[in-house]
Amino acid sequence: MSIRQHGFTRTTLAHSVLSLPEPHFEPLSDSAVTTLFGEGDTARRTLINAWLDEGIVHIRTAALVSNVKDALLARLEYNVPALDYLTEAFALVASPGLGIPPLDLRPAVQHAASIADEACRVAGDTSIGPSWYTKRATLAAIYTAAELHQLASPQTAPGFLGSLFDSASDMQSVLSEAENSRSMLPRAGQRLPKVLVYFDTILQAGKCNSKRRAMGPVSVRAMNSLSV
Amino acid sequence: MTRGLKPPRLSLSPRLLHSLVQRPGPSSAYLDPNMSPDVSTCSTPNDLSPSRRKVLEAALRVDQAGEVAANYIYQGQLAVLRRDPETAALIQDMWAQERKHLAVMNKLQVQHQIRPTALWEVAKVAGFGLGAMTALMGKEAAMACTEAVETAIGEHYDDQLKDLQGSTHPSIVLLRNVIREFRDDELEHLDTAVENNSQRAPAHALLSSVVGIGCNIAIELCKRI
Repeated sequence: MSIRQHGFTRTTLAHSVLSLPEPHFEPLSDSAVTTLFGEGDTARRTLINAWLDEGIVHIRTAALVSNVKDALLARLEYNVPALDYLTEAFALVASPGLGIPPLDLRPAVQHAASIADEACRVAGDTSIGPSWYTKRATLAAIYTAAELHQLASPQTAPGFLGSLFDSASDMQSVLSEAENSRSMLPRAGQRLPKVLVYFDTILQAGKCNSKRRAMGPVSVRAMNSLSV
Repeated sequence: MTRGLKPPRLSLSPRLLHSLVQRPGPSSAYLDPNMSPDVSTCSTPNDLSPSRRKVLEAALRVDQAGEVAANYIYQGQLAVLRRDPETAALIQDMWAQERKHLAVMNKLQVQHQIRPTALWEVAKVAGFGLGAMTALMGKEAAMACTEAVETAIGEHYDDQLKDLQGSTHPSIVLLRNVIREFRDDELEHLDTAVENNSQRAPAHALLSSVVGIGCNIAIELCKRI
């Protein structure tokens, strides 16, 4: 509630004691906020990190979350009350206190990675080995794109997230069909450029219309001259 | 007409023979489809301190990586020695046990929500390369490689048992029993390797040192990466 009124500021920290189960009778003084949470922007970073950690708990406890898409939608929904202040909050977290380096991308990567990991956990993911990493990297990228979209256009963010998931699953099915086609290639006596199989699969899948438009009229001789 | 001498039979240690006969161990909680899941196989402790949680994560990560490498070591050895039926049969039996270990480690990774090692593919390639290279030096060298790797893994599992002491959560109690079972399996492989003339391998001491040091470096890397 306090964040909605005052943003990620020291004022919010000062007023937070008014919301305790046994509320304080007045907001904290600035020196008390410094003692408890650090001075200057350090206190604001502490507040932002605590709010982000609470976002992870929100994914775990949100109702009707059974798959990764629902988990990421729940996390986007958690952003809504604080949307007006999020851009500045992310900028603050990405700016180290000492000014060197001028921009630190690690908190942003950590933020997306922890959300992706929690979404996988909630959905009961059983990936092992390298697929553990690829799944989480994909989800982190999808969430980062959706969150950036939400900062610019909050109403269309859930739809945008859905379209990203649809694109990801389309690409996955195209790649797996291409892999299946490759494995069915005849072994000896017949040389087919691998790229022909990929193009054929993509065209037949009928899901990548943009590729068909980009290719235009490509002759069979031109395709046969390619070899990968 | 003189009869040709029969080649010496490869010997299986009584412990390996006994282990190859199906006997339920603690790992059957993960492998036996007839056993119903319970809190020891489906939950992870929530009350671990951050340092104890890090110890658990590092332990399971490196155990899983070690089983991946062990599987590929035997696969590499079999790729070279498959034409020797008795050696091939021995390697197949030990490989079958390692496959069982890896299946359990994969379930433990999911149960305790552990990040697997980023060096998964490196472990596969390095394991296969080590197994194939030592097998190319001869079957005694392959057995020496097995002896060195199983020695390092056996010591490593012993250290983990000490690190995991103290917690009474059912999943950690089961984990300790599983590690104890796997340690005993690895020591059986070590005995089998010794009984099959690993110590007659060329430059046995040097080979064992190099493989042992490599294993210890890999263990330290996989704990962290």
